[in-house]
Amino acid sequence: MRSSCKGRWAWLTALFVANALAQSLPERLRLCEACHGPGGNSATPGTPSLAGQPPIFLENQLVLLREGMREVPQMAAAVQGLKDAEIRLIARHYAGQKPAAPQGKPDPTLMKQGAALARKLHCGSCHEQDYRGREQMPRLAAQREEYLEYAMNGYRTYTRKGGDTMMAAALYGVSDADVKALAHYLAHLR
Amino acid sequence: MKRTLLAAALLAAMTVYAQPPAWQQGKPPAMADSKLAPLAGRNTETPASEIPIGKVKLPKGFAVEIWATGMPGGRAMARGDSGKIYMGTRGLGRVYEVTDEGGRRTSRVVVDKLTQPSGVAMHDGSLYVMAIDKVLRYDGIENNPNVQPVDLTDRFNLPPQQHHNWKYIAFGPDGKLYVPFGAPCNICEPPAEYAQIRRYNADGSGMEVIARGVRNTQGFTWHPRTKQLWFTDHGRDWMGDKGPEDELNRISKAGLNFGYPYCHAKGVLDADFKRKDGCKGVTLPVATMGPHAAAMGVIFYTGSMFPKEYRNTMFVARKGSWNRTVKFGFDVANVRPSKDGRKATVKPFMTGFLEDPKTAKFWGRPAYLLQMPDGSMLVSDEQLGAIYRVSYAKK
Repeated sequence: MRSSCKGRWAWLTALFVANALAQSLPERLRLCEACHGPGGNSATPGTPSLAGQPPIFLENQLVLLREGMREVPQMAAAVQGLKDAEIRLIARHYAGQKPAAPQGKPDPTLMKQGAALARKLHCGSCHEQDYRGREQMPRLAAQREEYLEYAMNGYRTYTRKGGDTMMAAALYGVSDADVKALAHYLAHLR
Repeated sequence: MKRTLLAAALLAAMTVYAQPPAWQQGKPPAMADSKLAPLAGRNTETPASEIPIGKVKLPKGFAVEIWATGMPGGRAMARGDSGKIYMGTRGLGRVYEVTDEGGRRTSRVVVDKLTQPSGVAMHDGSLYVMAIDKVLRYDGIENNPNVQPVDLTDRFNLPPQQHHNWKYIAFGPDGKLYVPFGAPCNICEPPAEYAQIRRYNADGSGMEVIARGVRNTQGFTWHPRTKQLWFTDHGRDWMGDKGPEDELNRISKAGLNFGYPYCHAKGVLDADFKRKDGCKGVTLPVATMGPHAAAMGVIFYTGSMFPKEYRNTMFVARKGSWNRTVKFGFDVANVRPSKDGRKATVKPFMTGFLEDPKTAKFWGRPAYLLQMPDGSMLVSDEQLGAIYRVSYAKK
C-alpha cells in the first residue's frame, strides 16, 4: 500500500478513477487507508494519522480540502465530489478509531525539551492537557512526528491556508529546533 | 535590493504576529490555562431531519419552522426585490443564494474561495459582497445568475489586518454603504484605520468615518422613524465571566466615540489599558446585551403580523458566548427602547438553543434576522447552516 502513495501521478490518476467508482462507505474508507493506514493509523511518511481525531476537526478539514481552501493536491483528487453527508460519515468513523501506540523509541532529551515547550506555549489549553484534541482542534498525541513538524512549519510560514491565523500566532518566535522537539514529544505521547 | 525588501516585508509580517493570537490578547496569567476557546463552527450541511426545531421556545402564539437548510456557515441575509436571499459566510469562503420555490427553498453557491465574505447587501438590484480583502458587485444577479462581478476592491481602501475585519454591511436610508472596521485584536490601542464604522457612496467614493471606539460590530440597522443608526458591539474577552457586556448603541450624530479600548459597556474601565478618565467623552450604550453574548444581527420590527406591542421594537440575535465558563446567549432577544431612545429593556424572545450553559451543550446559534414582506421573521443559524421562520397566529 505504501508504495502506491509514492508514484504520484500514477497514484493520482488511479485515485480519480477509484474515487469515481467508490460508492459505499467501506469503499471510501479503503481509499483513505491506502495512504492513511489501517484504521486511520498512518505508516506513510508525510501522511497524518486520522484515528481518534475530533470529528468536527476531520469534517471541517475535509470540506476545506474539497473546496480548495486548503491546497493539498493528493487530497483534492481524493475528496473531489464528496457529499457533505459522506464527509460526516468518514469523520465519524475515524474519530471512533483507536490511535495506535507511538512508534520508535523516544529521545529523553527531546522529550523533556518538548514537554517544557508545550507547557510554556499552553498548547494544552486548546488541544487538551493530554493533547487528544477537541472540537475544531486536532489530536496531537501520537501523530506522526514528521507530519507534526510539517504542519507547524506550514503555519509558521503562512503556507497552510484555510484556517485562521491562530496557530501562526501561537508558534510565533518558536525556533526550528523547538518545533522539532515539540513534534518529537507530541508524536511519542499515547 | 530585492532581498532587503523581502527581509523588510518579512519583518513587518512578523511584527504583526509578535503577540499571542488576536483572540487571546489581554489574557491574564491567571487564566493562562483556561480552556475557553472560540466554539467550533460546522463546515458541513445539516439536513432538516437533524435539526431539533421542537426545542425552540417562543412567547405564546408564535410558531417556528425550518425554512431552509444546506447553507453551512450562513450568517447575514440580504433580500432582493424578487425575494432571493443572499447569505455570507466566514471561514467557508462562500456566498449563497437561497431561492423560495413556493413551499420549498433551494440554494446555490454564488461565489466561493473568498476570505471570509460575511458582508452581503442588496442595493438597486445589485448584490454587494464584502470579504476581508475584497469588494464585489453583482449587477442584476436575481435575473442573471451567471453575471460576472465588478471588482470594487481598490475603491474601498481596505486595511490589511484580518482579525475582526470580517464584515457586516448594509445600505442606510441615505443610500450609503455602511462598513465596520473592527479592532484587529481582543484588546489593543488599534491603528488609526480600525475600531470604527465608516460609510461610503455605493461606488466606494466619499468615505467618512462616522463612529470610533467601536471594537467589533457585527450588526446594525436604522430606526424606522428617527433614521438613526443602532448597532451591536462585542465586548472584550478575558476579563472574566461578568463581562464587560456587549453593547447596543445608537448614533445620534456622526463623530461619536464609543469607548474602545479604554471604556466598555456602561462605564467599565479596561483592565489592560488603564486610564482614570477612560470613559470621559464616551457615548455609553443604550443597553447592554449580556456578558460575551456575541450580539449580532438587529432589526426594528415594522410588520403587522406580530402583536402591536412589538411594532418598532428591536430583535437582536445573540449567537452566544465562548469566553465564559457558564455559557450565555444563544437566543434572540426583544429590545424595547424608551421613547427618547436613551434606555431600553432586554428580554429573551426565542430560546432553547442552549441546553446546558455549564457544559456548553448547545445545538444552534442564532446570528441574523430578516423581516419578510408578510411580517414573519427569518432567523439564520450559523451553526447548522439553516434559516428558521418565526410567525404569529392568533390563538
